[in-house]
Amino acid sequence: MVFDPSILIPYLPLLAAGTWLTVKISVMAFFLGYAVGIVLALVALIPHWVPRLVVSVYVAILRGIPFIIVVFLVYYGLPFAGVRLPAYVTGTVALGLFASAYYAEIVRAAIVALSPGQFESARAVGMSPLQAMRHVIAPQILRALVPPSTNMTLTMIKESSVLSSITVADLTYQSLVIQGNTFAPFESFAAVTLIYWAMTAIVAWAFARSERRLGRIEAENVGRSALVASFLSFDRRPAS
Amino acid sequence: MSFQFAYLLSTMPRLCAAALVNLRLAVVIALLAIVGATALTILRVMKIAPVNVVVAVVISFIRGTPLLIQIFLFYYVLPAIGLDLSPETAGVAAIALNSSIFIAETMRGGLQTIDPGQVEAACALSLSRRVIWQRVLLPQLFRRILPVLVNEITIVVKGTALLSMITVVDVLRTAQQISSASYRPFETLVGAALLFLAINLVVILVGMRGESRLAVRG
Repeated sequence: MVFDPSILIPYLPLLAAGTWLTVKISVMAFFLGYAVGIVLALVALIPHWVPRLVVSVYVAILRGIPFIIVVFLVYYGLPFAGVRLPAYVTGTVALGLFASAYYAEIVRAAIVALSPGQFESARAVGMSPLQAMRHVIAPQILRALVPPSTNMTLTMIKESSVLSSITVADLTYQSLVIQGNTFAPFESFAAVTLIYWAMTAIVAWAFARSERRLGRIEAENVGRSALVASFLSFDRRPAS
Repeated sequence: MSFQFAYLLSTMPRLCAAALVNLRLAVVIALLAIVGATALTILRVMKIAPVNVVVAVVISFIRGTPLLIQIFLFYYVLPAIGLDLSPETAGVAAIALNSSIFIAETMRGGLQTIDPGQVEAACALSLSRRVIWQRVLLPQLFRRILPVLVNEITIVVKGTALLSMITVVDVLRTAQQISSASYRPFETLVGAALLFLAINLVVILVGMRGESRLAVRG
């Protein structure tokens, strides 16, 4: 078998269209997922067992079943309830709901991790509630949100490939189309793989940048002897 | 149309039988992934520079691309280069590779949390590298990563549903076959979803039991 990327040239517009749709769906699902996730997290913080239980069940169900089944349930379930939407809208909603279960946990954890004394201390040194939020609470919550959100967002972008199964013409769908037309699976999937890889790399880089700007404080690994490093680290030279 | 619970129940025997396929595949994949991840971790610690570069690229690739595409790569591309795998084997290999990479990354994090004194003490007792791994490092490592490992196994269980896309007749595909005859997709899908929830619930409960047992001994 010969690897011949030129076979893909007639299909570049399809690849571009698929990439664009994947980006669009991911961005919309990110905002939808985060919005629902924040609401869920706030509901879960109500000191009463009913809202907490409702949110836990929602999260457990969405995390316990495969995303592909969530997609099919929404795809077949909405018409069942009398709502008819284009497949890509259905797909975005499904992806957003799926992500919301994870974002809710991330937001809740970030809020819970914050010591309640923080707000009171800020007030005690003479800050207004708004200033306390702006200068004390928000930076800490944002900082706690970024690393787990990065992971989840990358997962979400990757899971969007599953939407190809409900005829959403995303990148994965186009790879199957091209593969079907050219009978060149290697070239088709290699191209799409590289595009996804680039996409996740860009998103990871963007999040890492925002993390640096928010100023993450991290305990550094210090004082490892060569002996210890020969078991516990992957780097060639032990960190001094 | 309304939701017919009786119809859902009537499809359950066939769905349960198909769920055993997912369960069997998930068990095989989880075992392969754990063994693979352990081997990979030990390999990386050996610090053979070219090997670690390759491993780093593979890790980045596996983490940066969708599992579904990886499954397609195994299913469509390997036959093209002369390696003809059955859909099941290709799928198991793809998910096992994916999962072993994620577990290996967890293990890397776990190794960082092991007290360096342990290694020094083990070496002072002149234990061999093999014994140090077998008796000192791996048992502690597995205990530390157990919660993440359990989570990873639930991801494996969910991943087996993707194999329906490469013609493996699992719960999801069976549900689709049933509903294409009855035109009641929603009920059969709910049935399939419940079975996945049940399997994952068992995984989580077993994991919690394991955690509490290891915690008592520790």
